[in-house]
Parts: sequence; structure tokens; C-alpha cells
Amino acid sequence: MSIDEELAAFMASPVMIILGSCDGQSKPEIGRAMGALAHAADNRIDLMVSAWQWPRMVANVRAGARLAATFARPSDYVSYQVKGHATVATATDDHAAAAAHYIERITATLGGLGLDRHLVAPWLVSRDLVVLCLSVEEIFIQTPGTKAGQRIERR
Amino acid sequence: MAIALRDLAACFEGVIPSIVATAAPDGTPNISYLSHVVLVDDVHIALSNQFFSKTAANVRVNPNAAVLIVDPRDGTQYQLDTSYERSLDAGELFEEMAGQLRASSAQIGMAQVMRLRSADIYRVNGVHAIASPSPAVMAAPAKAVPLTTIAGIAQRVSEAADLGAVVDAILSGFDHAMLLLKEGERLVTIGTRGYERSGIGSEVAIGEGVIGTAAAEQRPVRVSDLSRIRRFGSAVEASSNEENRTRTIPLPGMAEAMSQIALPMVAQGKLKGVLFLESRDRLAFSKDDETAFALLAAQAAAILTLSEGEAAEAQTPSPSAAALPSAGGRPFRVVHYSYDDSVFIDNEYVIKGVAGRLLMYLLRTHLREGRTDFTNREIRLANELRLPEIKDNLETRLLLLRRRLEEKVAPIRLVRTGRGRIRLDLARPPSLEEATAD
Repeated sequence: MSIDEELAAFMASPVMIILGSCDGQSKPEIGRAMGALAHAADNRIDLMVSAWQWPRMVANVRAGARLAATFARPSDYVSYQVKGHATVATATDDHAAAAAHYIERITATLGGLGLDRHLVAPWLVSRDLVVLCLSVEEIFIQTPGTKAGQRIERR
Repeated sequence: MAIALRDLAACFEGVIPSIVATAAPDGTPNISYLSHVVLVDDVHIALSNQFFSKTAANVRVNPNAAVLIVDPRDGTQYQLDTSYERSLDAGELFEEMAGQLRASSAQIGMAQVMRLRSADIYRVNGVHAIASPSPAVMAAPAKAVPLTTIAGIAQRVSEAADLGAVVDAILSGFDHAMLLLKEGERLVTIGTRGYERSGIGSEVAIGEGVIGTAAAEQRPVRVSDLSRIRRFGSAVEASSNEENRTRTIPLPGMAEAMSQIALPMVAQGKLKGVLFLESRDRLAFSKDDETAFALLAAQAAAILTLSEGEAAEAQTPSPSAAALPSAGGRPFRVVHYSYDDSVFIDNEYVIKGVAGRLLMYLLRTHLREGRTDFTNREIRLANELRLPEIKDNLETRLLLLRRRLEEKVAPIRLVRTGRGRIRLDLARPPSLEEATAD
């Protein structure tokens, strides 16, 4: 079984996407993705990331580090975390268009929650866009509560 | 480090969620949002651990953790490179974090879910700003209320001659403020400022919401951004009809409040009440403000206790044994429901509980003896009031009754005629009625 339709739709909706990786010295890094394109058939997620803003994250993945991505809906904190190996790829026009569309939608979503455009702009950067291709190995429910951390599936 | 942790104080206000990344020994990363990050000192932070989380498990094996914090004024992001040191499940810092967590999660109905398991202490080894295309506005630290302003309020409080004046003196220093005093397991609003309705007589259960949590914990509770939290009481549209039906006065509130702070008023180790402030601005109250307001609340608690004691000591005998000429005109109807001591005047709900009983006592005595002057001392000794429970705060209840009568524009007024003495002013003669059923 792979990413189901429901999860793919959630990942494609305006959710915040935060990334974690670590370097060779086991030092963790944080990053943000500007949208995700889920490829259910390949069980792969393309995460668009600014290499300008998050150079250490991109360097870690390039060096073979595993990747974790948490998708969190700002209105109700419903969250999922996905983990697996990843590679770095060049962003295509489709990726760039998807990232632009994501930034537009998440800005509106956050605006609806009272966060001004100028406030969220520093988190929504698409300069020097690359793609982190995450092969999904584990999916966890991350919504705060008793089920937090529960594994949905493991391949 | 180039950027000092202390300069990032605003990032720790809990407005924008922080993020933490950790890694298991095999290099599997974990990335998660955090509900609370607290600045402990120049090189330490504390992270809330509510669940037996992967984060907590990871750092116990690989202590390295990256924490991303955000300045809520301009959105600037900072990554802190940290290492886990230890975990606290008791003590001042733990209790402070647990209290803040309970207060904020109670408002979104997750009080049980969000119980704090431990406060995890991390050493901060480095801080770096995340690149941003927006011009870097290193905003000035949040401005605290000047100490001279605080001192001015403190002086007015010191000079206040009675309980009512003390309450007004404290509130005078703020735009939107309420003062609630403890009555049994509840807090009763005795004074407010800056609201459409005064809400005098409204109640909050100890332990409920920001105000009730500050009372239960006896520590300040501060919320810096309410935009994503359901606000208490704001949806309740107050109306006289609603009060008459429920015999409950709604708490006043600002629907658009962004910041709130509740400060417990404690004297001789006992909770006396809560001072509550709110503002339309995000981040209106800084940690330094909290410290200054806490001093004011403590001073006010001490003076309130003192004025209770002084009023109780007044021994003046009742001065008016002779009957005064009774007020003329059409009698007004006072209905008393004995099951909750609620009192209605001309069909308008006025008050219930001990204050309701007090009002009935004063009116009955007036009708029986013709006098309108009373002393606190005789009220204390009156058998029909069943007073042991109100021994400590008769003044509070009289003040509550007085203000509620004023607010309802009732044909009865309570006038303070001296220390421990009051007079009943009646615009027209009362007609008392006992109701047995609702």
C-alpha cells in the first residue's frame, strides 16, 4: 500500500510543510517546503525547497541523509509525518508553478487566521528552488493527542 | 554567539509555533511543532514535553536538536543549535510551563490532552538567522510599561480609603481591566474598566480559563496572541432578559482581544482575587510587564485585606435608633427566592447568594424597625444571615451589592457613611415578597 488518495489530497492542500534531516555528525537541520507533489504510484513525494534559504538541509539530502516531512493544517493542527530516503532533483517548470500556487494559497490560509502577509513572507521563499524527492517508508499521525506518533504503515 | 538569546525574547512569547528537529542514532530525523519554548537564561531554553514523543526519546540517545523560533513581529526565523541536558518534572520552571500550557489548552478544549509531562532543558550552542528576502527588521524589544507609571498606580492604591476606592485605583491604570475577588470556589467581578457593560457580579470558577487558572495556580497567566484561540465569553451577547432568565451575569470581554494577562492577588499566602487585563494588540504584555503588574496585584491584595480588617473593627453603634421619615410614592416590588437567595426588583434580576441575603436582611430590618443606618458589626452578628462563611469578606459583598444596585439603577442605594457603616437610601417604599418556587 502507498500514500492513499486522502493523504495525497491533504499534502496538496494549503498545509505548512516542515522538514528535518541530519548531517554526518548527527546534527539535525530544519527546513520548509513550498508545496508538495505526491506521486502515489511511485510512493514518492516531491518537496519544493529553496536551496538559497535552506542550504544545509539540501546539502544533507545530497550527502544521502534521510528526510522527515511534517504536514500540518494551520486551522486545526491535523498533522502527518512522512519519513524515508530522499534525493535532490532540479525543479521543473511544473514544480516552480506548483510552488508559486502553494505560496499563494498558504498565504491566504494564514491570512484568514490573522497572520499578515508581511509576517509570513520570510517563511515562504522560492529562490533557487530544488526538489527533494522523498521515497515514503513510514507515515505517522502527528496531530496533538493520544494518537500522536502512531505509525500508519511501514513498507 | 553573534545573536544573543536574550535579544530574541519576543520569539518565546508562544505566538508563532516553534519547530524542533532531532535524529535517532541511525540518522532517522524527526520534525515536529512545539507548543511551548521558554527562555531559561542566556544559554538555556526549555521545551514542553506533553507526550512520550519521538523528540524526547531521540534526545535521550542523541542530545543534538535544532530548534526554529520565529519573531512574531516581523516573521524572522532563527535556528538554535542545541543539546539536551536534563528533564524536569517538578519545580518553579516546570510549574510555570504547566500553568501556561493548562491555561492556553483549556481555551481550545484540550486541557486533558495537553498535560505537561516534563520541561526539557537544552543548552543553546549557536544561533543563526535564517536567510530572508524581506528586509531584516531587527525590531526593538517590546516596550515595557515604565516603572514610573506603575509607581503612580501603586500610590493611588495606597491612598485609597476604602475597598471600593482601592478597586477603582487599580483599574484606573489600565484601558481594559477587571478585578475579581474570591468568594468560596468562585471569583466575583467587583470592578471593571473599559467595557461596554460593567459585568459587576459576574463569576468565574476557579480553574476555568485564563482568569480561573491564574487563581488556581496562584501564578500569572499571559496569552500573547488569541487570534487562533476560541475566546471565552465573547460570543455571549449580554442582555437583561438573559440575566433575568439565568440569574447569571455574563463576564464582560473584548471580542477582538489579542493579548490577556491574569495576575493572582495573594496576601498572607491566601488568594484574594485576580487582576485581569486585556488588549487589542498582539504581544501587549511583556514578561517585564508581568513582573511589574504582579507587584501591583500583591500590593492591592494586601490593602484589600487591610481594609476588610479595619471595617470589621469599627465598633460604632448604630446611630439612628429613631425612625427616619419613610420614602413616599408607589412601592417597588422586591422578590426573594430562598433556594438561591436571588433577588429581583421590579422583575429585574439584581443579585443572588450571600449578597442577596444581605439585601433582604437590610430591607426587612428597615421595614421592622424603620431605620436605615447599619454597622458591619451588627450585620456580622445577625443570626438570620447565617454569616460564618462571609466573616472574612463582608466588605466585598457590600461593595458588590452597592455597585450592582447602582448599575441596575435600582430604587435602593447603599451608601457608605463611615468606616464599617452603611446607609440604605430608598427612593420609594419597598414591598417584600417571598417566592417559594421558580
